[in-house]
Formats: sequence, C-alpha cells, structure tokens
Amino acid sequence: MEFLLLNILNGLSWGMLLFLIAIGLTTVFGVMGVLNFAHGSLFMLGAYLCMQSMKYFDSFWFGLLVGPLCVVVIGVLVEKYLLKRVYDRDVSYQLLLTFAILLVLDDGVRMIWGSGYHIVEPPAILNGIISIAGQDYPVYRLFLIIIGPIIGGLLWSFFHFTKWGKIIRAASFDNIMAEGVGINVPLIYTSVFALGTWLAALGGALAAPQQSLIPSMGEKIIIESFIVVVVGGLGSFPGAFAGALLLGLLESFGTVFAGRLQMAIPYILLAVVLLVKPNGLFKKGV
Amino acid sequence: MMTQNNHNLLGPALLTILLLLAPLVIPVYWVMLLSEILIMGLMAVSLNLLLGYTGLLSFGQGAFFGLGAYTAALMLQAGYENLFLILLAGMLVALLAALVVGFFSVRLDEIFFAMITLGFGMMFFSIAHNWLDVTGGSDGLPVFNLPSLNLFGFQLTFYTPINMYYLVFVVVLIAISLLWLIVHSPFGLILKSMRENKQRVSFIGGNVKTLRIAAFAISGAFTGLAGVLFCLFNNMATPEFMHWSFSSKPIIMSIIGGTGVFLGPLFGAGIFFILEQIIIQYTENWMLFLGIILIPIVLFFPQGVFGTLRNKFFKQGSK
Amino acid sequence: MSRDSVLRIENLGHSYGKFKVIEDISLTIGKGEMSALIGPNGAGKTTFYNAISGKFPPTKGKVFLNGEDITGLPSHRVVDKGMCRSFQITNIFTELTVAENVFSPLIIQQNKHFKLYGNVFNDQQITEKAMDTLEQVGLGGRTDQVVANLAYGDKRLVEMAIVLARDPSVVLLDEPTAGMNPEETENMINLIKKLAKNSGTTFFITEHDMKVVFSLAEKIYVLHQGHLLAQGSPEEIRANEQVQEAYLGRKVHA
Repeated sequence: MEFLLLNILNGLSWGMLLFLIAIGLTTVFGVMGVLNFAHGSLFMLGAYLCMQSMKYFDSFWFGLLVGPLCVVVIGVLVEKYLLKRVYDRDVSYQLLLTFAILLVLDDGVRMIWGSGYHIVEPPAILNGIISIAGQDYPVYRLFLIIIGPIIGGLLWSFFHFTKWGKIIRAASFDNIMAEGVGINVPLIYTSVFALGTWLAALGGALAAPQQSLIPSMGEKIIIESFIVVVVGGLGSFPGAFAGALLLGLLESFGTVFAGRLQMAIPYILLAVVLLVKPNGLFKKGV
Repeated sequence: MMTQNNHNLLGPALLTILLLLAPLVIPVYWVMLLSEILIMGLMAVSLNLLLGYTGLLSFGQGAFFGLGAYTAALMLQAGYENLFLILLAGMLVALLAALVVGFFSVRLDEIFFAMITLGFGMMFFSIAHNWLDVTGGSDGLPVFNLPSLNLFGFQLTFYTPINMYYLVFVVVLIAISLLWLIVHSPFGLILKSMRENKQRVSFIGGNVKTLRIAAFAISGAFTGLAGVLFCLFNNMATPEFMHWSFSSKPIIMSIIGGTGVFLGPLFGAGIFFILEQIIIQYTENWMLFLGIILIPIVLFFPQGVFGTLRNKFFKQGSK
Repeated sequence: MSRDSVLRIENLGHSYGKFKVIEDISLTIGKGEMSALIGPNGAGKTTFYNAISGKFPPTKGKVFLNGEDITGLPSHRVVDKGMCRSFQITNIFTELTVAENVFSPLIIQQNKHFKLYGNVFNDQQITEKAMDTLEQVGLGGRTDQVVANLAYGDKRLVEMAIVLARDPSVVLLDEPTAGMNPEETENMINLIKKLAKNSGTTFFITEHDMKVVFSLAEKIYVLHQGHLLAQGSPEEIRANEQVQEAYLGRKVHA
C-alpha cells in the first residue's frame, strides 16, 4: 500500500513539472505552429538563473521570481529576432532553428557555469521530510504536487476569464485566424512566446531544488514534453495536463515494474497513441 | 521538345578523383576525418532521400545506422569475416527494421512523422542500452578483428587508416551512385511527386503508403550500410548511434548542404566536420559555435550553402 | 438510355454522425455523355465527388464503374479502375516541370513506379504519351517549364493533362473553371468540348457558373440539400419550376 502511494506521489510530482513545461510548449505550437526544440533549454535556464539570483539575495523565493523573468527577456529576444522569420517555413527548418538555439543555450550555460553539477537547496520551510504511511517523504515533492494544480488553475482562469487569455485561446485551441478579428498578431505571438518561456523557466526553477543542475537537463525533458503534448493532443490544454500526469505515473511505476525496459516506456506510449489516436487523446474539436 | 535537366557529371567526377587521390597528399589524421565525412555523408544522402525527395522528416535514422553497426560487431565477434557478407547483412537488418518502422510511421505527416520516428528510434536505443548480454549495454560492443578482402589473390586488410579509407571510399561511392540512380528513376520521380502533393499521387493511382514504405526502407538500408562502415572504422558499436541526438546529425548536415541538391548532404557532412575541426582548436564549446553558425544558415540559406551557391553560380533547373 | 452505362450510382448517401450531407442519390451516366452536377453551395457536390472517387467511402449506397462495383475502394484503386478527377483547388506537382507532372500518372499506369533505375526521359512509351496528352490540352510547347512559374489558367491545364494522361473512362471535373478569367473560361469550355468529341471520354462536371454548364452539358443533375432534386436535358432543367425555386431563380442569367 505504502509503496503504491509513494509511487503515485513521485509520479504526480514529476508529472506536475512536465505539465508546466508541456503547457508552454503546446500553447506556443497552437498559436504559432512551431514546435520549439529549445523549450527544454528555457527550462534549464530557469533553473540556472534561479540559482544565480539566489546568490545575490539569499532566498529561493526571490530566485523563483527573478530567475524565470530573466529567461523571459531572452525568450522575447529569440522570438522577435529569430523565430519570427520561420513561421511560414517548412517544419524541418523550424525544428532545426530551435535546435540551433538549444545548442547555443546549452553550451552557453556550460561555458558560464561549467559542465559539473550544481545543487539548489529548497527553502527552509520546505526542506524536510514528512512521514507518509510510515515512509519518509520529502516535503518539497508534496509542494510540487500542490503547486502544479494551482498554477494550472490560474492559467485555466487566465485563458477563460481574461480578454488576453480568450484571444490566445481563440488563436491556439480554436484555430481562429486572429488577423480576421482585428488582433495585433505579432504582439500576440511575442506574448504567447513570453508566456511559454516563463512557464518553462518557472518549471526549471521549481525543479532546481529537486534535481541537480546540469546543462543537459533540458535535453531529457524536452523529449518527454514532446511526448506529453503529442500524446495529449498538440495545442490542447487538458491534453497537456492529462498527458503529463499519465507519463509521470507511467515512469514512476515503470521503475518498479518494467525493470530495464523502463527507459522505453515514454516512447512506447508515444508510438501507441500516435498509431491509435494520431491527433492525441484530447483531440481538438473538428 | 522534352529535355531532362542537364546532369552535369563533371563535378562529381572531379570530386571522385580528388577523393581518390587525397590520401596521397593529406596527413593521416585528415584521412581518418575524410573517412568519417564519407560515412556520415552516406547517412545524410540516404536521409535526404526521405527529407529532400519524399518530404518526410525522419528523426529515427540513428536506429538503422546502429542496427548496421551492431550487426557488423556481432558478426565479427561470432567469427564471420567475409566483408561482403557483413556489409549485406548490416543493410538487410536495417532494411527489415525500416520496413517495420515505416509500416507504422508513414501514415503520419510532418511533425507527427518526426515524432513517431523519434519514438521508434529511441525504442531501439533503449534496447541497445539495456540488453547487456547482446549489445554490451552502454559500453557498446568493441570490434577487435576486422574482415579482410581477398582481391585477385591479394589479401587486403583494413587495419591502416589508408586502407580503411579506401574501403569506405569504394563502398560509399557505390552506394551513392546507386542512390543517384534511384532518385533519377521513375520511382524517384514519384517520390518527388509525393513530396509536392501526396493527395494528387493517390488520385493518379499511386498507393502513397506503399511508396513511402519503400522509400523509408531503401533509406534505412543505406543508413545501415553507413552504420556497418562506421563500426569497422570506429572498431565499436555503441547505443549512442541510436539516440535521437545522433539522428539529428544527418538532418543538420542535409540542411547545411542543401536538401534540394543530390550531393548537398555530402557537402553538408564535409562542412560539419571541417568546421568542428577548426572550432575545437580554439574552444571546447563547439556546440555553441555550431548553433551560432546554424542559425544564419537556416534563416538566410533556405537551399543550404551548397544549394544556394550552386543556384547562384550555375543557374540550373530544379533537381 | 440508349448508350451503355459507364457510371452507375445507387442510393448513395454520406453522413457525419447524424448529419446527412447527401442522401439517396441514384443516377446512371452513359458512355461518352457530358453531364453536369449543379446545386447551390452546401448542396453536397464535393461530398458526392469525394464519396465516389475514393477520398472516403460513402456511408450508404453503391458505385459501379463499367459494371464493376467500386464502392469504398481507396482513391488509387478507383483510378486504376478508370475514373480520374480534378479538384476545385488546383492539385498538381508545383515544383516539377510540366512534363514531369504528366510522367507521374503514366509511370504508375505502366507499373513502373517501383522501377529503381533508368531515366523517364529515355522511356519512349512514357514520353510519347505525355507529349500527346500535353498537346491535347495545348501545353505542348511548355514541357520544360516548372509548373510553379505558370499562369493560373495554365496550371489548371496541367491538372487536366494529369487527369487525362491515363485515358480514364470517366473524368470528374470539380469546378474546372473556378477562379478563371472569361478568356480562360472560354478556352477551358472549348477544350472540354474538343476532348469529349475526339476521345469519347465521359465527363462529369460540377460547376456553379451556369453559363459553363449550359454550354457544355447534355444532361444536368440538380443537387439540393443533399438530395437529387431533378435531372434532365438543359431545356428540361431550365423549365423545371422546382429547380428555379431552389436554385436557378436567383442565379441564372444565361
């Protein structure tokens, strides 16, 4: 029983991080049609810049606030000067351009902070262990499980109750041509990319106390986020949520049940969903 | 009247002669580098049969490369030393795997095709990485004995970089010539038609699915051949060949060189490795500079470096 | 019908869920006949075409081509059986040359699409037939041009050549003059007339330009809200009150 519970908790906490990253990825895809290979690097940058900001002001919360905002600045520059030029190009060029950005960001971080591990301590209040069903469990992971739905809920409200949110949703999830209804498209694109960047970086900052920081930490998560958004349905908000939790739980239980095959689980999930429901589990309305 | 595009064979002929004579003048280190360029060039030209000609972006070519390499390594470990047998077996294994992967993947397009091939590639990677008894896990499979070739009574071995280079050169030359025949064949024209408009192909009587599977399998087989060569060259088959980041290399090379020109990807491979050599003399952060170089290539050379230059200086028709 | 029937459609229907786009359509087209399917936008013309040409299988009914049941066959099999179609939006191989555009159907017809060697340009069986077809549609002098560089009307002609290359027994043309200027339209009408006369091919056309319909068709079928409202000669259709009410009253000015 305890064992089941612990695996569920582990799966959920990992799933929540995946969700934060995937939701940005899927919104950017929905609005601009670009699948951003560098999205994982923005996650990684979020973690590093959170760590860096903590050095100036010794507080995790400060890092969590400032780090992702710095990444947003980088994201906006990337969108305005690079991405913008490939919106109408072939998908291979879009992937390659964002892959090049990934190389620059990852190696840039390696140049500045070195290729070794870095550790970020959780804030004191969350830096402990709690007993769940007789087992020790890190408080920080529970924090992640709680914060995920909170951010998700806020985002959902933003998309449904604010004017900007509705516009973005119309452009992304409902595939309405924003130009037709007199909306400033370049501004929408930049804001959506900024939002996506912020979510990725926030995910990175939140992940920082839970995993060690290395420059390649974005490369693992970008592939898993691809899987999440494809499984959930590209451009789908509920799809990203369900996909992230599904993958998080599968991976968590995979370590127990699948043994060596565990590594292949995300890819098997991806292939099966693409073959059975090519548009993802939460297909957009026709 | 109807004329075909002029296939100017002067360039390729000159290139062949240059490659044939190169080892006589360049240092051994560069001969080895040239072998690697040719092998990866073959992988890139094979990928471009899909990317440039059929309009399919495969992110799983590493699996077929790796299957070729592992086939070679396992056969050599088991004591098979017939070079032709190993080359053919590597191709065949990759071909069969590509038939299966292709069967499931070709119904998808664009980004979805890229994702499912990435997924299949990573499944092969997971197997290679974890099936310790057969593949040696993350350490890979080392190769100690190289096959030799009995040529008119001469026993040729490939332990020296120069001999290895000529083996690679001959195999790649033959493989690329075959691919050249294929892209200019009736099948090749149908591939280009599918790239332009797959719906139209199906409405002139073409079975898009079967045709795409065929293209995928052929590309996979030649990629497997490149994998065999790399295993011999490298004395090693490792799971890394099957990782998506390895699969991304021929894509980068093709786009650097130009997907619209038959030999563009080969030139892309050359540019890739030569840049790497130059940059690593100055900095460890070669990836950073690769990224910085790639960005303007993607933005300003839509037909790749080679393609853009060719169009600029030799106003030729479409490929 | 005195002539042999070449295309026979029985009780054809197609629905998405509960919504019936077309229902209960039966018609028989004779060999060499020039017929047109008309109807206001949304009447179901394109769905009808898609369902009989193999884009998707119809949910109800049967389609017979030259007496053979082709219901639900995928598009490439329908083409093999002898029915080829054009689309409202030009559907060609844009970055290839005019000649290459016509080679593709011929390669497939002659079962050479898995041939991995040899150059199409040296294949007389293909080049001669391609040249014939291109001359028929008036593109004989432009074989080496890349299609992307052609004028719109010429692109439509390329599609015509692609459709005709395999000598299909039935040709479906989905709004062949859509988007054309009056001169191009006139040329297209004359071309279709000429082709029908010379080759004896059966044409089945959808069109919303009534001038085109009445100057071409021997027999007209009127589709209205998914049902076949009327059929008959142009004179009969002109005189039909139901049709006028549903459709012509607003549009005809011929």
